[in-house]
Amino acid sequence: MSTAAEFKTDLKPVWCPGCGDFAVLNSMHRALAAAGCEPHETILISGIGCSSRLPGYVETYGLNSLHGRALPIATGAKLAAPRMTVVAVGGDGDGLAIGGNHFLHACRRNVDIAYVMMDNEIYGLTKGQAGPTTPTGDRTKSTTYGNPDPSLDPCALAIAAGASWVARGFSGDVKGTTELMTRAIRHHGFAFLNILSPCVTWRGEEQHKELRAKMQPVPAGHDVTSAEAALRFTDEGEVLTTGVLYEASRPTLLDQLSGIELMARGNTQPARSDFLAAYRL
Amino acid sequence: MSKDITFSMVGSGGDGAVVAGDLAAMACAAHGLHVVKTEAYGPQIRGGESSSTVRIAATPLAAQGDAIETLVVFRFTDFARFRSEMTLAADGLILHEPDDAPPPELSAYRCRPVPFAQLARDAEAPNAKNIVALGILVALYGLPAESIRAAVRKRFKKRDATVISANLRALDCGMEFGAQLPSPAVTFATTPQTAGRLLLSGNEASAFAALHSGCSFFAGYPITPSTEILQLLGEWLPKIGGTCLQTEDELAAIGAVVGASFAGAKAMTATSGPGLALMSEMLGLASIAEIPSVIVNVQRGGPSTGIPTKSEQSDLFHAVYGGTGDMPRVVLACCDVEDAFHTTVDAFNIAEEYQLPVIVLSDQAIAQRRETIDAASLVHDVVSRSVPLEADASYRRYAMTENGVSPMTVPGLAGGMYQTNGLEHDVEGRPSAMFETHEAMNAKRYRKLDAIAEKYPLYRRFGAVKPKLGILCWGSSAGAICEAIERTEAEGMRVAAFVPRMLAPLPARPLQAFIDSCEEILVVELSFAGQFHRYLRSLVDLPRNKTRVLKRSGGKALSVEEVLAAVRAFEGVTA
Repeated sequence: MSTAAEFKTDLKPVWCPGCGDFAVLNSMHRALAAAGCEPHETILISGIGCSSRLPGYVETYGLNSLHGRALPIATGAKLAAPRMTVVAVGGDGDGLAIGGNHFLHACRRNVDIAYVMMDNEIYGLTKGQAGPTTPTGDRTKSTTYGNPDPSLDPCALAIAAGASWVARGFSGDVKGTTELMTRAIRHHGFAFLNILSPCVTWRGEEQHKELRAKMQPVPAGHDVTSAEAALRFTDEGEVLTTGVLYEASRPTLLDQLSGIELMARGNTQPARSDFLAAYRL
Repeated sequence: MSKDITFSMVGSGGDGAVVAGDLAAMACAAHGLHVVKTEAYGPQIRGGESSSTVRIAATPLAAQGDAIETLVVFRFTDFARFRSEMTLAADGLILHEPDDAPPPELSAYRCRPVPFAQLARDAEAPNAKNIVALGILVALYGLPAESIRAAVRKRFKKRDATVISANLRALDCGMEFGAQLPSPAVTFATTPQTAGRLLLSGNEASAFAALHSGCSFFAGYPITPSTEILQLLGEWLPKIGGTCLQTEDELAAIGAVVGASFAGAKAMTATSGPGLALMSEMLGLASIAEIPSVIVNVQRGGPSTGIPTKSEQSDLFHAVYGGTGDMPRVVLACCDVEDAFHTTVDAFNIAEEYQLPVIVLSDQAIAQRRETIDAASLVHDVVSRSVPLEADASYRRYAMTENGVSPMTVPGLAGGMYQTNGLEHDVEGRPSAMFETHEAMNAKRYRKLDAIAEKYPLYRRFGAVKPKLGILCWGSSAGAICEAIERTEAEGMRVAAFVPRMLAPLPARPLQAFIDSCEEILVVELSFAGQFHRYLRSLVDLPRNKTRVLKRSGGKALSVEEVLAAVRAFEGVTA
């Protein structure tokens, strides 16, 4: 069993002092250990953005890839090495804007990976432009007169698109986030964890306080197996419900592919050269 | 056999022109003849015009048929859509329905009405006018009737027995009718020698090459004319324990390939121009993070959606230059169906050994034509990634080496962990924005190309040993040029061709030696803008005063005749 410390690298994060992502990184180290992962049997894939720098700070096999493309890369890695634990990480712009299409399809396929979205409601690395989760009306560097677009709740999207495990966390609550992350990593199927992770630099000191004030744990008695019930805790407005919103058990992409392999193989496994049989004269 | 023959059938979808071509090709190949079969379609999903051209000879064929001796036309309005792409032999014979008169411009050819539909009805096989037409061709050319019958039985074996008998009646009926027509008196004196022979398309050869190479992961998005590779590997990879993923788009397809390869698998995708455009950014990641990846790009008419169903050689620039930054990649190009196999295996070998993206440029003319090849020729050594079996704290993913190749661990290896990225990075994979690191890493990555160029002199050279005229071409053009050169030899001309099968890095040294050895140079390509010519000029010394260019749009196969015309335009080519 590896400890949280064994998942740390000595690379210093590029994040601003006070960034919520430090806490998420802390949770990642702890959660990987708590979930029983080994550094050499874990793959971390990210896109581009402040939060996508995270794999560099975790001692696993890691790839900080392209903007928006963490999920297809993670999908390929998981399918090629099913015994590895594969975790995709990134930000809200990375996963919902440029990578939004991949998000839908990763949910739909129920590919066996955990996806941690650090959501700061802003593009931080490019220094403060509105993103898909930025509230309507907010003035940012790219929305001088206020953001004209409605914001998107990533959890609602994940549930609608077919993710089999969906939760919301808050970086300010390291213990709670670590627990959720551990469960996400252990989940059999596509686990989506949306972590509100404030950006002190571009959303101001207030964002942290405002988010904390909105946080409410999911009420006891919530039926996590009901998508309808789970959707009630999305797009809530003045409240942000944290905890596991939805959990379902359904075949994962790997389950489906194993079934297909059995079907294709039949009783005798063909040789690669048998391919030519159909073309022989 | 005195010579080779070429015939075509043109009709609307449902007329069965393509099925009849398939049957003729299959039967003649099974009889021991050499066959090249091509098809062409309009853009419609169903019911549009389609054509099928079959070329048959007793000896191996280098090019597809481009001078049609007998043309079966079920409807001239369909033929009109292909008119500019189909060349009839000077004494060509056109068989057509009596109530569908040939347009005046065809009156120079021998036109002969044949009541195909009526004959089919008479044979109580109203849906088999294509088989009636096939029967006529059997009688005209003395095609192997028994093999044709066997092919008909095989084709319809899953259908009702009455379907087979109806088609066989239609075939007999056509043969009877054909016996009354003046025969071109071609006889096939062949000994059936089919052992080990295959009738294969370029896409099938590429798919097989992936399996042969040990590819265990394929991801792709359907796009004409590469889709067959996705379909075939979707059927075959699960059989042998591999995985095929149909992704949401090409961005995801190449992403999944990079992810699978990062995790240790030999991985490939296949696409065409628009898909390759979408893959550019990820190819940059594969290049800087040094992740082996194979991309088969089956070219079609471009730009944009262009002409999806027809061939062109205009993705060259995108393949060799496409992408941002200084991005080493390897680009290979296949010349024919058999070569689609070899270049794809080479692509895996190079990608795995040198840890970079390798693009194979195929094209529709190779990918979707079927030709007879020797199964024994589909042999090619396979190279696998050199993977460290142990690693400790001294492991450096991007350690500086002489040939630029650094040790790449595979997830699962204790101590082999590394964190890499698309950012410039140091020997450990850690991000670096420093000039010094960037320069050193660029140099390391580009050193791999030198090593590859040294180890893989991939080109073909054929024709005269001491040529006066040298032809430079690539890809599927090589077939027509090879045949044109054979003919010029018979006419006493001294012509040779140099065909690079690796376009990046270009085998510049042997190519320059070839250019220098020729008095004149002809560059041939199916690119309106002359991409190949321009590319060559940037890398070798191609003197203006001795170089001419035959370049035009794709959408129509390069014909032997147009190459010959260009060759004959040179004075003093004759020895």
